[in-house]
Amino acid sequence: MSVPLSQMWAVASYVLKQRLRGTTRYPLVLMLEPLFRCNLACAGCGKIQYPAQILKKHLSVEQCMAAVDECGAPMVSIPGGEPLMYPEIGRLVTELVARKKYVYLCTNALLLKEKLEAGLFEPSKYLSFSVHMDGLREEHDEAVCRDGVFTEAVEGIREALRRGFRVTTNTTLFDGANPLRMREFFDAMMDLGVEGMMISPGYSYSKAPDQEHFLRRQRAHELFRTMLANPKRRWKFNQSPLFLQFLMGKQDFECTPWGNPTYNMFGWQRPCYLLQEGYAPTFRELIETTKWENYGRRSGNDKCRDCMVHCGYEPTAVNHTFSSWRGFRDTVVATVTGRN
Amino acid sequence: MTEETLEGWAPEIGRGITLEEVIERAFDYRGNVTVVKTDGTELEGYLFNRERDAAEPFVQMFDRAGDGPYDIRYADIRSIRFTGRDTAAGTSYAAWLRAKESKKPASGA
Ligand code: SF4
Ligand code: SF4
Repeated sequence: MSVPLSQMWAVASYVLKQRLRGTTRYPLVLMLEPLFRCNLACAGCGKIQYPAQILKKHLSVEQCMAAVDECGAPMVSIPGGEPLMYPEIGRLVTELVARKKYVYLCTNALLLKEKLEAGLFEPSKYLSFSVHMDGLREEHDEAVCRDGVFTEAVEGIREALRRGFRVTTNTTLFDGANPLRMREFFDAMMDLGVEGMMISPGYSYSKAPDQEHFLRRQRAHELFRTMLANPKRRWKFNQSPLFLQFLMGKQDFECTPWGNPTYNMFGWQRPCYLLQEGYAPTFRELIETTKWENYGRRSGNDKCRDCMVHCGYEPTAVNHTFSSWRGFRDTVVATVTGRN
Repeated sequence: MTEETLEGWAPEIGRGITLEEVIERAFDYRGNVTVVKTDGTELEGYLFNRERDAAEPFVQMFDRAGDGPYDIRYADIRSIRFTGRDTAAGTSYAAWLRAKESKKPASGA
């Protein structure tokens, strides 16, 4: 695991505090979407399929911070759309860092070099650029439907690292991914000097146009087992080792959809980052009025049956770590030995 | 491969489909719709939410200019037309691959 100790400590003490208070449903990572606009148009991306007036809109920094304060999660992920296209991204990040939130700014990195050169951000232990990288050059350019994006993203990563920023990668794996190529990809990312990598299978959600393209659960386990077998010690993953074990089929977890709540211009999205079954006006209403029993694998909901996506299952893995000695021991063993 | 779209659909409520069903389709639709109210006025925009379980069920919309959100009670809706472009249609990964293949030179390594 490559998450810095201070961040692990912040998350651990937050989780323990929630448990001592007896809170059963608490958020770990706020998925904050200030806009849906993007400078790419990846096939299968349901986030950008909106009419022009919606793509032109964005949240104000004040709206974002009100959501951050109401939710209280120790980590904030800013996906998109492309957050570097958000006109107030510099101010938003400054405010989040001032609140000591661990921020993952998820970007395709096409604008990263330009924004860094413009002095929009200061290096901080609280800020990581989480660069969307779906594989080596060929695989990535194919996934984002544009040639040349991999090279530009690598340039952005180099520039961010040169300036002393934390950089991680986030990779969504699609059906047909080649495990050997992915192992080469892990090597390439570690050679670049990123702090860690995040991986997750894709999801076939109803508004994504290419459902049959995404991984099904069983095939996903096989893929992750092959890909992560005998992991090299130099590979660092910026995520719970128990989540990686879950991807490999070695842990049986249920989804924690409230673990990564999503806020955007429509409100608090029910029930999770992937499904859009409605919006609540406040975080409290999201938690109190969403019919959580209708979601997760055991609910029998068709939409959840094959889902193994990090936003639902990584919070489960983190909770597992802190809710039992066994979970804690599994995490420590996986972290210390580097074995998944 | 054809991709189904509701673009251009103007269902007549009561003729085999209820208002609630049309609202659900509009909620899932990735384009603007035109809501025709019982008083004869219309609002065109993106219908992003509906509260079926509220004491008085309502939909929420941003209009064509992006202003809003505007809440409209189910009881005040006469019908809904699917007037805007379906932004989810024709953007599949398969369509992109087909386009890419057609641009490649015959030998394509
Ligand atoms: S870069 Fe991300 S937000 Fe933009 S189109 Fe691709 S997947 Fe969607
Ligand atoms: S399993 Fe969880 S994360 Fe996946 S779609 Fe269902 S509610 Fe969302």
